[in-house]
Amino acid sequence: MSNSDHKHKIDLEQIAETVEEQVAYGLEIQGPVRPTRTLWRDTLRRLRKNKLAVVGLIWISLVVVMAVTADLWVTPLLGDPIALDTTKVAEQRLKPPSWEHPFGTDNLGRDVAARVVYGAQVSLRVGILAVAISVFLGLFFGAIAGFYGGLSDTLVMRLADVFFAFPYILFAIAMIAILGPSETNVFIAIGILGWPSIARVFRSSILSVKENEYVDAARALGASDVRILSRHILPNAAAPIIVYATMSIGGAILSEAALSFLGMGVQLPQPSWGNMLADARSMMVVAPWLMIWPGFAILTTVLAFVLMGDGLRDALDVKMKD
Amino acid sequence: MLKYVARRILQMIPVFFGVTIVLFILRAPGVLPGDPIEMLTGDRVISETTYNQLVSKHGLDQPLTTQYVTYMKNLARGDLGQSYKKNRSVTEIFVEKYPYTARLALAAILIEVVIGIGVGIISAVKRYSFWDVAGTLSTSILVSLPVFWLGMLMQILFGVYFKKWGLPYLPISGMGNPPDLAHLILPAITLASVSTAYVARIMRSQMIDVSQQDYIRTAEAKGLSGGAVVRRHSLKNALIPVVTFIGIDLGAMLAGAILTETVFNWPGIGYEIYLAIIARDWPIVTGGVVIVVIAYMFINLLVDISYAFLDPRIRYGGEAA
Amino acid sequence: MSNRFRSTIAIVLAIALVASLAALGGCTNSEDNTEGTTGDTEGAVKGGTLSQFIVEPFAITPTLAYESEGIYIVSALFDSLVEYDPITSEIGPAAAESWSANEDASVWTFKIRQGAKFHNGTEVKAGDFKYAWERMLDPEMASEISYHLLSVKGATEMLDGAATELEGVKALDDYTLEVTLVEPYPDFELVVGHPCLGPLPKDAVEADPKFDENLVGNGPFKMAEPWAHDQYVKVVRNDDYYGDEPNVDGIEFKIFKDAETAFLEFEAGNLDFTEIPAGRLGDVTAKYGASPDGYTGNPDEQVLTGPELGIYYANINNTKPPFDNVKVREAICLAINRQAISDALFDGSRKPADSVSPAGILGYEPGMWPESRYDVAAAKDALEAAGYPGGEGFPTIKLLFNSGSYHDQVWQLVQADLKTIGINSELESVEWAVYKDKLKKKEFDIARYGWVYDYPIMENALYALFYSTSADNQSYYASAEYDAQVKKARNTLDLQERLAGMRDAEKILGKDMPVAPIMFYSHFDLTSSRVNNFRYSPMNIPDYSHCWIAE
Repeated sequence: MSNSDHKHKIDLEQIAETVEEQVAYGLEIQGPVRPTRTLWRDTLRRLRKNKLAVVGLIWISLVVVMAVTADLWVTPLLGDPIALDTTKVAEQRLKPPSWEHPFGTDNLGRDVAARVVYGAQVSLRVGILAVAISVFLGLFFGAIAGFYGGLSDTLVMRLADVFFAFPYILFAIAMIAILGPSETNVFIAIGILGWPSIARVFRSSILSVKENEYVDAARALGASDVRILSRHILPNAAAPIIVYATMSIGGAILSEAALSFLGMGVQLPQPSWGNMLADARSMMVVAPWLMIWPGFAILTTVLAFVLMGDGLRDALDVKMKD
Repeated sequence: MLKYVARRILQMIPVFFGVTIVLFILRAPGVLPGDPIEMLTGDRVISETTYNQLVSKHGLDQPLTTQYVTYMKNLARGDLGQSYKKNRSVTEIFVEKYPYTARLALAAILIEVVIGIGVGIISAVKRYSFWDVAGTLSTSILVSLPVFWLGMLMQILFGVYFKKWGLPYLPISGMGNPPDLAHLILPAITLASVSTAYVARIMRSQMIDVSQQDYIRTAEAKGLSGGAVVRRHSLKNALIPVVTFIGIDLGAMLAGAILTETVFNWPGIGYEIYLAIIARDWPIVTGGVVIVVIAYMFINLLVDISYAFLDPRIRYGGEAA
Repeated sequence: MSNRFRSTIAIVLAIALVASLAALGGCTNSEDNTEGTTGDTEGAVKGGTLSQFIVEPFAITPTLAYESEGIYIVSALFDSLVEYDPITSEIGPAAAESWSANEDASVWTFKIRQGAKFHNGTEVKAGDFKYAWERMLDPEMASEISYHLLSVKGATEMLDGAATELEGVKALDDYTLEVTLVEPYPDFELVVGHPCLGPLPKDAVEADPKFDENLVGNGPFKMAEPWAHDQYVKVVRNDDYYGDEPNVDGIEFKIFKDAETAFLEFEAGNLDFTEIPAGRLGDVTAKYGASPDGYTGNPDEQVLTGPELGIYYANINNTKPPFDNVKVREAICLAINRQAISDALFDGSRKPADSVSPAGILGYEPGMWPESRYDVAAAKDALEAAGYPGGEGFPTIKLLFNSGSYHDQVWQLVQADLKTIGINSELESVEWAVYKDKLKKKEFDIARYGWVYDYPIMENALYALFYSTSADNQSYYASAEYDAQVKKARNTLDLQERLAGMRDAEKILGKDMPVAPIMFYSHFDLTSSRVNNFRYSPMNIPDYSHCWIAE
């Protein structure tokens, strides 16, 4: 999560580096159990029973549907989120919520509701793509570290340490400064900064299953490293990574908002929840609706991912099932 | 134990050099657009002569490797260099700023400890009760809140509206002059919000975990009252990861809090380093991050060492990576 | 244009005329005939501390200060040779009692006031000016504002390190300062009114390595304690001051990260003078009342919106096709709805610009740029004449600006206007460092640009921004005709002829349209209800001496 100014680098897995230590603290969130069809069905069943997770899932679906279909209904119903008529700005700006503009209008007379809906597109894109990059890099580096061990393990883990030691937001700002502020660069930066956590999770999963008999057996049968990793190890490590990735989407959405709030994110006139809040700051006293809705949108969407993640974690938690 | 500490310190060295090298890569021409010397003026363009004087004054005419070596040599002597933009030494800037950051961080940690642990215990002890659900839900909300939004909401409510309604209101920016407690309240709550939620969550799950361990069941079976079990057994063991979290969180908070500092106009080091990145004031960026990273690593080390004392089950062998 | 405004210009014209003719004639000004105004000081009471918002300045020392926040403090602590009237910008005596120039205005003699003292008690002498100016030109200091002195003989040599003394400046005796210039420069007397050209006490500077943060000046206020970085700068009344003693006990310059936070503090009742955030003028004026002259703050007349000497414009890259085509620049000039920008962001308080020289400056005349107006049909015609009917074939261009402040709002509006005539554009909001870099490397199409005058003369912008070899010329406009005209006007002795020459130069710009003027700056500031007679000049220098605080 990177909600706060500092990244919470110490998701539980990271407190203890080795599996043994994790077990000692009761931090283990996965077990070396092959997820079979039954397991997934079980998971789904338990997830359904978790009311909060279901609420989260429904909210996420709602946001996704609204964002994906935005082009069809937003402009006719609410108004264009970007286009401006400069001759009408003065009369249309800063209107409080009304039937015509349910969330009011912004400083340049655009409909805030329309902008919030389009902001959802940005948040979802950034959230999902950033986490995809993190997972890809994390699996790659985690595999190198966990599977091969030795020097490559040391190198990867020290590199991860460098990433952790750097203050998170500052690192993100520096990366955006290098790449230039844009939506693409924001998810690239957030994605790159997210790999060490995933790598650590994957690495400990590998360590916990590497010595299992079926891995040995596969090796004895001459399976390649890639095959062992993808067919035997990855499925066993999938559960914690899915949980972690789900929660990270919420974190990435918050990071995007923070960067855009600092002017280092998505560029105007494209609306993002973060840059809408930055705009709203000076209008806070006269036009509070400008800051209420984008903030509310961030809160509910991130919360939905957190609840989903919680639900998944509980549902996949092998130890608790026992 | 000593061997372990020595090994941990040895591990820090490559990380430290890694961080400084990253910082110097940022400086390399062509990596970040923008020229630090051009940044020294406003809308005016600097004259060629003055430009060259400033370049040599700040040693920017040297090759980057020479600059790095010089920097590391000076660093060994405790000299962090001179700011381009501020006309002051970097050491002086951070000696002045660090206490402000520490003040805010400690206040936030205090909130984290008192409220986070409290809520966590209540949730765990009264598991599945109304309080547990309320606690869990509110911690989920807190971790999902953009901190700068929380700060803005509190500013407008407790600063502007409370004043308008004639209620006792809180200051919304700065540290006060002289610094006082009232100015600390809103920024500290804002900074603590997310971590407090994490502490409560970890505390709750640890308490529940520990309570399912055999020795607690034994204690209960022996007829100890619920309260006594909580006090004597669950609490102590459950606290270990919480203490760890808080320790490392302190390390992170001492790196400054850009968003909180921005919203509340707090003169801390996070915002200072942020502005320096924007201004390409490399001595401040490098010096600031070096200080922050050293503090972070040092606190991490302390946390790790403290495990050994808190939890006798942990032994530090030579195997762990 | 309001009546108030027209009469202000008339007064400026008249007084400046008299002053310049007197100076050129070789006779001396005396204190009596150019007494500055003090505003309405009836009922003034002593006491109280004025608190003002600033952002952390780069420097507060006259040797280095270049931004307005640094200059606020410098102006409270230091008196230059002459000073500008806070309302009319007309010059009057300050540290110099009188001054005169030779026949061709290339040698100037200033008579230093006797008995005036630095805050440490030593008397201010002619040599202290020479010392301060040499310090500004010292390569070691690498001062970015050394350009103030470039018209003085020997300044370039000092900057280059070829000389250690400023050849053109001589202290003939303790109270006589003689300044020799590189070439005739009749406006030089206005240059020395800049607050950063005040004197420095050499002994105090050399004794204190932190002098630049704990200054000793000769002005109406002195430092109460050294600069508390990122928190405040505190100054208190100088009881030994030779001029009118300030009413307030002191000024606390409170440092905030941005105007938004400062404005919240103002609304919470903790500031006496601050900026109004963009877009807030309407409700703020309704609540606090407008100042009748736009420059003077009094209870219930607290909102200051008087025109400043400054211009905001779209800087066009004249070297890059298709912008090297004057018809393209004309189309852009005609496409911008300046009034809409002013209405949307400044509640109509900023005047749409119809030239580079702002309406408040001596010599301004309307209509110097006939195409600096909003006319969509004409803009479309011009674009067609340039070979891009309806914008067809025109590349998608980038609008560059530094992020923050109100720029993103302005450029979203400009973007919409350009789209109306068929030009598609993207906003490129970048950090200050990147913005400056791109301008310098000519990697831009159209960029935001702002200019605030150092001295109240047309030449200040016309020379710096458009003379082909000037460092500040970042539209990269180059016209031999224009260069010759500006240079000729600059050296012209007669004020009226000089102003007419400047207007002719400006008309060449109006024909070539190297940039698209957008709006003239005006104050966007607010005083608290306890402050009386707080005057804030068109040059952005507050008059701290004549305001008072009534609780």
